[in-house]
Amino acid sequence: MATAVKANRVKQKMVASRLLQALPILILATFIVFSLMQLIPGDVAVTLAGENASAERIAQIREAYGLNQPFLAQYGDWLWRAAQGDLGASLLSGEPVAQTIARTFPNTLLIAVYAVLLSVLVGVPLGILAATRSGSPLDSGIMGAASLGVAVPNFWFGMILVLYLALTFKWFPATGFVSPREDFSAALWYATLPALALCTNGIAEVARQLRSSLVEIQSSQHVRTLHAKGLSPARILWKHGLKNVSVNLLTVVGLLFNKILAATVVVEAVFAIPGIGSSIVNAVLQGDFPVVQGAVLAMVVTVILVNLFTDLACTALDPRINEL
Amino acid sequence: MKKQHRDQHDEDLTINGNGVSRRAFMGYLSGALAAGTLLGPTRAWGQNGGKTALLRVGANANPSSLDPATGGSGSDHVFLYPLYDTLVTWDFETLKAEPGLAESWQFTDPKTLVLTIKQGVLFHDGTALDAQAVKTNLDRNRSAEYSNIRADLASVEAITVSGEHQVTLTLKNPDTALPLILSDRAGMMVSPAALEKHGGRVDRNPVGAGFMRFGNWADGSEVVLNAVKDYHGDNRPALDGIEFKVITDSATRLRAVMSGQADLAYHLDGRQKPLVEKMPTLSGAISSTIYVYQLYMNMARKPMDDVRVRQAINYAIDRQAFIRATMAGAGEPAYMNLPESHWAFDKDTAGLYPYDPEKAKALLAEAGYPDGIELDLRGYNDQSSVQMQEVLLAQFAKAGIRGRFRTGTIADMSAAYFGQQKTGDMLLSAWTGRPDPSLSYSLMYTEDAYFNAGSVAPPEGFNDALLASRSSDDLEERKTALAQVQRLVMENALVAPLAFRQSIVASNDRVSGYQNNLLGKPKFNGVSLKG
Repeated sequence: MATAVKANRVKQKMVASRLLQALPILILATFIVFSLMQLIPGDVAVTLAGENASAERIAQIREAYGLNQPFLAQYGDWLWRAAQGDLGASLLSGEPVAQTIARTFPNTLLIAVYAVLLSVLVGVPLGILAATRSGSPLDSGIMGAASLGVAVPNFWFGMILVLYLALTFKWFPATGFVSPREDFSAALWYATLPALALCTNGIAEVARQLRSSLVEIQSSQHVRTLHAKGLSPARILWKHGLKNVSVNLLTVVGLLFNKILAATVVVEAVFAIPGIGSSIVNAVLQGDFPVVQGAVLAMVVTVILVNLFTDLACTALDPRINEL
Repeated sequence: MKKQHRDQHDEDLTINGNGVSRRAFMGYLSGALAAGTLLGPTRAWGQNGGKTALLRVGANANPSSLDPATGGSGSDHVFLYPLYDTLVTWDFETLKAEPGLAESWQFTDPKTLVLTIKQGVLFHDGTALDAQAVKTNLDRNRSAEYSNIRADLASVEAITVSGEHQVTLTLKNPDTALPLILSDRAGMMVSPAALEKHGGRVDRNPVGAGFMRFGNWADGSEVVLNAVKDYHGDNRPALDGIEFKVITDSATRLRAVMSGQADLAYHLDGRQKPLVEKMPTLSGAISSTIYVYQLYMNMARKPMDDVRVRQAINYAIDRQAFIRATMAGAGEPAYMNLPESHWAFDKDTAGLYPYDPEKAKALLAEAGYPDGIELDLRGYNDQSSVQMQEVLLAQFAKAGIRGRFRTGTIADMSAAYFGQQKTGDMLLSAWTGRPDPSLSYSLMYTEDAYFNAGSVAPPEGFNDALLASRSSDDLEERKTALAQVQRLVMENALVAPLAFRQSIVASNDRVSGYQNNLLGKPKFNGVSLKG
């Protein structure tokens, strides 16, 4: 009882300190992105002024949108408003940034979560198969395919999927998206090809990591003892092997989610998905900084939360982590 | 089976329809994911539930604004045309002015333009489109602080309502380019009531008098327009609505049509032309536009100040080879600033510069450069621009013209070349074209024009000819004057035009009646959808 209370307290402390740590990370990330936006060429005032605009018109627009303010003043202004929950509006189209995020982020999250689920559902059995038949042709086959899976760029694989599954067989739509809030099953149908394109690396990574940790456990002394005790290999695998590698697996999955989230930027372009990645790309190209800032903020928050959740789940699975 | 899948996707089948195989698939999927409970109540498969004739268009860019006065991008027009009728329209093939909301116009003297407005036209919100509404719009366009098109109406001195359906424009100087200017952003009429309601600008709340009313705009994703049932004109498409899907990548845009998520895609790449032509399920509309790739010249710098050098550059370019190598053949050679089908095209001028590297060499020698010249060239850093630069350098080398392209982004390189710095002898860029050609010429070649980087006075007779082209509203007289303008430009080699870009539009077999226009900005007048 006492240890449980203690463990709970440790957990609360960890969550609180993690959330506190997140604040400087958020500020730093948005500051770096804002600085980079200043460095890259392209001027939103030129875009706003229209084709072949006069220098005078461009100066007027800089003035009107506060783009002539010093860099730090612009950032400070943005931060102050953001702290009050106002992410501003797109300079170009006037759509509130909060609305842009609410509209596009669920689409991106759906593909990312879908891809992670596929990675786990396919990667875990493959990893187990390879580990339990370590050294066999099946193992080499799976690991060879996994190496290929890590190496294949997902945008290329996405094109191949479109070519066969969408254009030739017409099983899935080649482009576009349905919002998960509007129609969840249709959203899944549209998200399948993008998720397949994204999950190749994930499957490979999960299978490889799982195999190597399992092989390590299988050859450890306590597993040898279990064999000696007469436990069946299946029981050893499920009860002892997988339990021991679960923390490792969870960490891989957490990292994988963040990696896939980043990769959606490219895949969204291939499949014409109105996700947060494509909003960032378009906004960067046009120098529309409120959109970039808001979207980056949303992604950073997500990554921090996923990491926190992964850590919490790890402590739940392996109580020893608490004692460290 | 294949067919069934495609149909499910093309039409918007409800769950009560025959969406069996997809449901079977979803069932499998939900089982596999152990996520069956996540599958909520299902409505229509597509987003276009219940509509029969909804044209789904793959658009290349998100609009910058749906207010004609505040937007800045040439790609906005495709969204604006269905929403807003213009005072004047044009012929699709020649860009000759034709009546629009102004059923007629007349220059009572060279400095007075009288517009007669069509009667009985209402904006989408029920406001009357009368002379007062036209005046409100034109005044806003030429003077509002946020208007991007003030320069378009710079020649207007005053606008008066001279009748319930008559507006009189008093001009500072003769300007017969105005009717065609009123076919563009400046002539798109916005409901005055909507302007008042939304604080003077309707970027996200457009209300016009076009054949489509505004439905929804999700940034970077889609713009949905719905048909106006009691539209006043006869150019209305047989559609219930238009759904623009913003797909910036042109390969993805074409795929959307091939696989059935879109009915039509525009602004496709030259290299997609063979695919559009060969795919049996696609029909293509491919034709020239007035968008021209060209080399701008800074005539204040040596050796560009010598007309023989500039002529040599024009002789040194093999335009046919340039188009084959850089545009996959999807272009029209440019020997002047207007393509062949334009109403003011001048055949004689177009024949001035056949490809002739020997003649180029001779001209350079005559100008005192027997060993050729070395130029400081500027350009943009995107892939297709760089490819064009490489091809030009190879062609130049044969005529003894050497140099290197320094590249950067469009905004940076243009600002450095045309702005205060005036860097570089030539800039490889493009001219997007103007509805009236006299505008293009005055914006590029007059002494104080921004796009005349060297601010060199134009050749003798140029200003008079340009003025003459703007003083008459007789098409033949204007044509003669513009031919004179264009001849002076090319004889003095103020520019090296390269190629006109083609408008490449692909549609599936459901779409009929689509027609390209010379401006290269698709209009959907007369389009209908089959079954």
